Amino acid sequence: MSSATETSVPPTGVTSPAVRVLREQLGDGLLKVEEFRGDLALSLSPGCWVRAATLLRDHPELDHKLFLDLCGADFLDKEDRELRYEVVLHAYSVSRKHHVRLKTSLPESGPRLPTLTGLYRGANWFEREAWDLYGIVFEGHPNLSRILTHDDFVGHPMRKDYPTAQRHVLRRPREWLLQPGEAGEHTVVNIGPSHPAMHGAFRVQARMDGETILDAEAEIGYMHRNFEKMAEVRTYWQIIPYTDRLNYCSSFMNGHGWALAVEKLLGIQAPPRAEAIRVILSELSRIMDHFICIGANVVDLGAITPFFVLFRAREVIYDLLDACCGARLTVSYVRIGGLADDVPEDFAARVRRCLDSIREVTDQADRLLTRNAIFVNRFRDVGVMAADDALSYGWVGPCLRGSGVAYDIRKDHPYSGYELYDFDVPVGSVGDCYDRYLVRMEEIRQSCRIVEQALAKLPAGPVIVDDRKVALPPKSEVYSNIESLMNHFKLVYDGILPPPGEVYGYTEAANGELGFYIVSDGQKCPWRVKVRPPCYNIYQAFPQMIRGGRLADAIAIIGGLNVIAGELDR
Amino acid sequence: MIAGRLRQEERRTIMGLLDVFKGKFVDPTWPGVHAGGDIITTRLDAVVKWGRKSSIWPMPFGTACCAIEFMAVSFSHYDIARFGAEVLRFSPRQADLMFVAGTIVDKQGPILKTIYDQMPEPKWVISMGVCASSGGFYRSYHTMQGIDEIIPVDVYVPGCPPSPEALLAALMKIQEKIERGAQARAPQGAHRLGAPGDGAIDRRERRQAWARDDAERARQGLSPRGVLAPPETQEPAKAHDV
Repeated sequence: MSSATETSVPPTGVTSPAVRVLREQLGDGLLKVEEFRGDLALSLSPGCWVRAATLLRDHPELDHKLFLDLCGADFLDKEDRELRYEVVLHAYSVSRKHHVRLKTSLPESGPRLPTLTGLYRGANWFEREAWDLYGIVFEGHPNLSRILTHDDFVGHPMRKDYPTAQRHVLRRPREWLLQPGEAGEHTVVNIGPSHPAMHGAFRVQARMDGETILDAEAEIGYMHRNFEKMAEVRTYWQIIPYTDRLNYCSSFMNGHGWALAVEKLLGIQAPPRAEAIRVILSELSRIMDHFICIGANVVDLGAITPFFVLFRAREVIYDLLDACCGARLTVSYVRIGGLADDVPEDFAARVRRCLDSIREVTDQADRLLTRNAIFVNRFRDVGVMAADDALSYGWVGPCLRGSGVAYDIRKDHPYSGYELYDFDVPVGSVGDCYDRYLVRMEEIRQSCRIVEQALAKLPAGPVIVDDRKVALPPKSEVYSNIESLMNHFKLVYDGILPPPGEVYGYTEAANGELGFYIVSDGQKCPWRVKVRPPCYNIYQAFPQMIRGGRLADAIAIIGGLNVIAGELDR
Repeated sequence: MIAGRLRQEERRTIMGLLDVFKGKFVDPTWPGVHAGGDIITTRLDAVVKWGRKSSIWPMPFGTACCAIEFMAVSFSHYDIARFGAEVLRFSPRQADLMFVAGTIVDKQGPILKTIYDQMPEPKWVISMGVCASSGGFYRSYHTMQGIDEIIPVDVYVPGCPPSPEALLAALMKIQEKIERGAQARAPQGAHRLGAPGDGAIDRRERRQAWARDDAERARQGLSPRGVLAPPETQEPAKAHDV
């Protein structure tokens, strides 16, 4: 929000090369430069949208090659806004370690903007999403059609004047994803959404010449359960359970990311003990996620034993989470400013038991898979992704590192005290399925190292900030003195009230960069929340990756990408 | 142990199926048990139901978080095989029990309906978790407010996700239903689909809108609203038809 800039101190972001270059090149096109909580945001006039993005990507001083996120926003009836809609682009420069946010405002009638699909490959689906949810037209877009909602849907549901729960019934699913009619001698194969290899919620249509895929197209939205719309009618606390269900294979990490983003907005930091516990549980969650990915991947190829083996350790981790917070899968353990409660007394012993179990099953799976001839033949040189393409699609995480780019947010922008721990970032050399598998296996071992160090250094102290505007007072005080009782009541009734402003909080989740772009107008519910889901960018590349390959390879590739429906469709 | 018993039994002249269970599962003092357990008189119906409930072939329709917890149930720790239901079929034509595990959104609805229709009779459905049962806490524009809008549900399992024990309890409930010959026939919530008040986020407001709608339609001589027609009223296959 613009009111965040009404401070007397000039924003420090002005000194960054991005601002200087864009100001030189665009002149009056650069309308405003804001900085809030360290986030640099540049407002542009719509006319120089493409030019600004081109400069951002190609100018040698900027080099923002990593496409992160593009989304719409609706500022209906906001006094401080002249124009209703806004399009927001997030990009990152791996070489300069620099985030930039570009924004442009669009009028209420006929919001139009030229497309960025020619610049960033990843922009394709994000622009479709912005059209689907906000009705913002991107001129020149190759396929501006419904992506998250279905074809019988009427209206653009994320607009503020659309009722939260107004549904439309789909009568017939979309039959053709590819252009129909020109099949000729070629067979068209439809896989999913209810197909075991598609994990229940994705659909791919491929035109086949024998066993070779000539053309392919993917469809998503089969799990679009509206996290972002629900977040606009929920308070900052109430959103925590929703975040658990984004990437449900590693629930804790999503809550961790959300809490960090809101803490960034509030300008507070959780106590060291809470941060250390968060790191331990996040790393264990990352391990669980990699287990599911590797296990499900080889099940798709016909080997079920490794999955059984890996799942054994998951049960041990479930027991630990259960002891901490009472839930196995969807934990809701973080709170804004810390954790819900302290860990149990035998936490250290339980974590060690987890580590023993993880090491045991990882070694077993390693022996079963890594040198297994069938497995290697199915994986090696299959689904190769070049580093430039991966950046252009916006891949982050194990998949990007598999393609050889050593970008890990835990190293490059440490949060929650990751700078205190010693660990390595594994990187692939070819960018094929086998590299992605090896990166994940090595990350499991590195995560074990982090957990061990964090456990050894686990500080004593409180697990939540002592701020009555953010955290509930302890129950013993609520029952014994009137001030705490009132604090409790006020906080539950009014919610957390952050300052107006917008932040982009990002963490290294199991699949890559999980970002939360929060726009706050000072009320108890966020005005706009955009999740930057790592899978969305990754799965977008899938049709291109399988083109020209065999159908059986497509199955091997999709498992290794670890696309999680809850996170993909939100 | 059974194999050892079989070898013992082979020495006898004729070996029938029930010899395996002799003295083990069959109490020789029961009425209907003759010759010390060598002969049993019963209804074929009872035998078929017993076989059906002891060898359920489930199809997991897993879309979301519940599917991960379903994996936990089917793997060694909780071991669904103890209930004779471990042969997971991903083809609906080979299954008689569907676990709907996870949120079903409007886009997925017609697909779920198709898959359900492809399952041969008799069939049962477990709605695993609150999302499948009622939409859960996703009271929103794209989430189906319970799969019983389009398919009949036999057992609802609460929880987000349900604990593995709860899912096993649901499986035992299905076994009881099979034994009783009971089966849900029509989508219980079809009247909610497309009704006015669908956009209301408040539960009470929504119920009132549905009630008003039902009354209005009754006044016009129409049946309560259901956009997708309920399946034709078809008797479940009789046990002796099998």
